[in-house]
Amino acid sequence: MKPNIPFFALVACITATAAFAQKTPSQPDPAVVDEMDEYAVVQISDPFEPVNRAIFGFNDGLYDYVFRPVSKGYTTVVPKPARHGIRNFFDNIKFPIRFVNSALQGKFKRAGLETGKFAVNTVAGLGGFIRVSDDVPALAQIPREDTGQTFGVWGIGKGPYLVLPVFGPGTARDTVGFVGDYFLNPLNWNLRENIEWYTWEVETGVTVVNVVNTIPDLLASYDAPRKDAIDPYLAVRNAYVQYREAAVKQ
Amino acid sequence: MNLNVLKSFVCGAVLTLAAAGSLNAVEPEVMLKTSVDEVLAIAYDGQTATTPLSQRVRPLLEKNFNFEAITRRAIGPGWRQFTPEQQARTVALFTDVVIRSYADRFEIGERPGITYAKSVAPDPKRPALRELPTTIDYAGKKYSVLYRLEQAGDSWRIYDVIIEGVSMIANWRAQLDPIYQKSGAAGVIAALEKNLSQTPAK
Repeated sequence: MKPNIPFFALVACITATAAFAQKTPSQPDPAVVDEMDEYAVVQISDPFEPVNRAIFGFNDGLYDYVFRPVSKGYTTVVPKPARHGIRNFFDNIKFPIRFVNSALQGKFKRAGLETGKFAVNTVAGLGGFIRVSDDVPALAQIPREDTGQTFGVWGIGKGPYLVLPVFGPGTARDTVGFVGDYFLNPLNWNLRENIEWYTWEVETGVTVVNVVNTIPDLLASYDAPRKDAIDPYLAVRNAYVQYREAAVKQ
Repeated sequence: MNLNVLKSFVCGAVLTLAAAGSLNAVEPEVMLKTSVDEVLAIAYDGQTATTPLSQRVRPLLEKNFNFEAITRRAIGPGWRQFTPEQQARTVALFTDVVIRSYADRFEIGERPGITYAKSVAPDPKRPALRELPTTIDYAGKKYSVLYRLEQAGDSWRIYDVIIEGVSMIANWRAQLDPIYQKSGAAGVIAALEKNLSQTPAK
């Protein structure tokens, strides 16, 4: 089965990202800066801050009044091993995102390790439900790659910070990268046309399970910088940018 | 005794003393593992505690974290403009904020597994600093947590924790800097007081 990635979409991704391209501010040399300035505030382009703050507030409400109750109900009903198994399964399926982006960044050894991890988990881990690769030291902690990181490695700047409804924090580069990840995810490869039993009912069920199973993790990562913050918006924005910058460097 | 011999003697004496000191010094890995184990023992003791976790772990964290250095770095160069009284007040408040934030990371449930890598000196020009990577295995996921430590006598004290690439100090600095730029030291102190009064400790 071939992934249905329209060429124009890829070109659009790259063109749009390049339009937002900006040089990431250079970091001060830690050897010469004063100790008190070694954590110089990273300048983040946020021209849409008023709108972003409004969407941030909307997401807060959405997470608190919709996602949190759903998450609580789901984690009460579905036992932890099942939730972890489902998470492992969907994570395993996303192998092409990690493989292709490792290769696009020239990290061929990492692409090979990703292939090994996918093979081990698919074959020995019952289709990916059990992450057998955790027991193999070389496969246990492979840094994850995605399209946004690939753009970063290619020297494309972050672009403006964006808070998207439902999805939360992002940058222009990562939002375009998200489109690339969408097309690299096998779940979006027109499975209904290629697999007879994959009806719309099955597709809907798979999507719902995937989304609902993601919510507890999403809330945990969203809450971590927000909890106890003096300015939750700035805390999440800074944490997101630091996290993504570290991922690009890995 | 000529000058060169005297220099050699003094250098030799200093090196000998330094070597003797380093023999007694605690390795960063040992210090960190011991202190994390002590905190985990309290956080996951299985008892129904009447006092908040932040209060129970406070003596350990005060021993193992350099809160003065953390506060100084979180404020940045503006720290020099604080009066000694403002500095003392800010350190006290920020200590409370950090301890509460640290204690809030622990959730009731399974105890996390932690593996420690070997510490590295990130900058050859500053040998008193170390970075110690760890991996936390919690709820079926692995998280990268890097501790930054600086030498304090014979031991080490933590001055930053970097979780999945996110530095605690850099995150606080991003929040406090606009307040300092707008309202100075008094604004920072007021913001910390407000923050502590709004969110109850766990």
